[in-house]
Amino acid sequence: MITGYLFYMLAFLLILFSLGVLMHSSPLFSSLNLVGSMIVLSAMYYLLQVPFIAAVQLIVYAGAVMVLFVMVMMMFDLKHEIKIFSGGFISNAIKCGLAGFFAFTIGATAFMSTEMISGSAKVKTEVLSVKSMAQLLFKDYLIEFEVLGVILLLVAVGAVALSRIKGGTHAS
Amino acid sequence: MQVNDMLAVGLNHYLFLSAIIFSIGILTVLLRKNLIVILMGIELMLNAVNLSFIAFSHFSNNANGPVIVFFVMTLAAAEAGVGLALMVTIFKRFKVVDISIFEKLKN
Amino acid sequence: MGSDLVEVLINSVKLVLIFLLMVQLVPILVWVERRGSAFIQNRYGPNRVGPFGLMQLLADAVKFVFKEEFVPGKGHKLIFYAAPVVALIPGALAFAAIPLANTFHLEPFMFLGESWGPYDINFQGYNVGIGIVFILGVSSLGAYALLLAGWGSANKYSLYGALRAVAQMISYELALGLSIVGAILVYNTFDFHSIIAQQAGALSFTISGRELGIPFLPNWGIFYQPLGAFLFLVAAFAETNRLPFDLPEAESELIAGFHTEYGGMKMLMFYLGEYGHMLVASALLVTFYFGGYQLPFVSHVMIEDMLKSFGLGINMANVLTAFLFFTVFMIKCLIFLWIYVWVRWTLPRFRYDQLMDLGWKTMLPWALANTIVTAVVVFLARI
Repeated sequence: MITGYLFYMLAFLLILFSLGVLMHSSPLFSSLNLVGSMIVLSAMYYLLQVPFIAAVQLIVYAGAVMVLFVMVMMMFDLKHEIKIFSGGFISNAIKCGLAGFFAFTIGATAFMSTEMISGSAKVKTEVLSVKSMAQLLFKDYLIEFEVLGVILLLVAVGAVALSRIKGGTHAS
Repeated sequence: MQVNDMLAVGLNHYLFLSAIIFSIGILTVLLRKNLIVILMGIELMLNAVNLSFIAFSHFSNNANGPVIVFFVMTLAAAEAGVGLALMVTIFKRFKVVDISIFEKLKN
Repeated sequence: MGSDLVEVLINSVKLVLIFLLMVQLVPILVWVERRGSAFIQNRYGPNRVGPFGLMQLLADAVKFVFKEEFVPGKGHKLIFYAAPVVALIPGALAFAAIPLANTFHLEPFMFLGESWGPYDINFQGYNVGIGIVFILGVSSLGAYALLLAGWGSANKYSLYGALRAVAQMISYELALGLSIVGAILVYNTFDFHSIIAQQAGALSFTISGRELGIPFLPNWGIFYQPLGAFLFLVAAFAETNRLPFDLPEAESELIAGFHTEYGGMKMLMFYLGEYGHMLVASALLVTFYFGGYQLPFVSHVMIEDMLKSFGLGINMANVLTAFLFFTVFMIKCLIFLWIYVWVRWTLPRFRYDQLMDLGWKTMLPWALANTIVTAVVVFLARI
């Protein structure tokens, strides 16, 4: 009951913030809207009984990634854009139409399929424990986990290399 | 009774929401001119996918979803790091962060 | 929320009271800061208004309320006003998730002519179950307040201060998180109640089946994780932007950093946020490394039994015990808050490159080493 109300409230906020990302003429406000949608998503994860993922969402997305976005945005000091959308009217209309068709298709499919709606016996009732997640992470997904570590290392090296280029694109 | 039916939130509600957010992300990537906003559109799409993963795992009582979301988050952080480093480089070179820079790459 | 009216009522009142507790501690901390700095520098400090200058806070509050409201000409009004509010949120949310005293049990009692069932009441705003991860997540949102303030003021000094502050917070968040991982490995849980329960009694641990113990020391985390505790303390100083890491508001370089353009109540809200952060850091330090709300060697059952032997009712004894433990917790917290003040007026400020070097080249490797060594030792001890 209360979960339903919370879901609709959060869904409304989430769509509002996402539209803010799309529509706002100032990139800074777009990013602040994205921060809002990240926080709302975190609340939604809490609603879906994965509090650990909710907290990680806050730490990683809202607390680190988006802070970087906002910080870069402030360093560039970008003003309101006069023309925020690229392309002409017709191509944009086609793009919007395609995205709308995509959402409609998935949405219709989701509503047609009635097998896995709530009330079925499989719905998880207790909070997902960190222990069971860790066991999956370090047993079944161990190789992926290690590969991810290597990717992160490469990314760190790459980011440092990119920001330290002397000459080349840097010389202006 | 009608209200209670409305308030019983199931998997398809979450999937529908996820589809909407994903399309907004796609539209952000397709329509916006600013490169950083395009990156944010990608983040939005990743988040929509995360939501559907969590919803699937919740409604089928399966712990694999959160683990994959964990991976996606890490990759998204990495992608944002490299993307922003590229943005800074582009900004230093062209003084704008706009997809119009690709027109200058012709020669 | 709670199952019936009284429980909902108790929980709501509890939330409001814990928020008010955080807010009301701030004037006292400001007074301690000013008197403490005066004491350290061999001055008097505020001593005219009221006994020991305690009424100075009221005078300050009046002054803050009646200051002129203004927004910088080129600043962004919404962001300028939003920043102080955002500054207050993380501290308040995080503090409400920390248990301040033991969970106490209420037997059925009569109220408004009806009998209300037995309750187990947590002495904390809400219990999220994942404790420390939630707090790390919420307090990582604190960076936005600084960014918004710096950008909304349309002032170069503000923006520089904000960018410095955020770079510093992101850098030290790593060391902060990693320094706690060691403690989490030792306790094997995220939950605060379980962490505190494991610190009861005298120091004793099991290594591969053999029981070792030192009877005259309490079973506190500091004896298992001395390096982790020290790293946490230092990283917490940096996270709260206090001296010796107060580069964001280095007066000689940046006027006042991100809150240069703020005055009156908005300025006060930044103060509330900063002191709230300090309070959360001290509370975490106490919870993880200094036994939480527990008195060393004394469990709450012993105190309850003692109070009952004086002829008190069972509910009364339980409530009194909880408040005693709450007092113990606050005293421990205040000791660490005093250390904050003490360090502020003792150590000089770092240079910015030194700060970054310390964060990335010293604290992060040590925290990593601490984590790895702890993991190996815990693994070997549990074989």
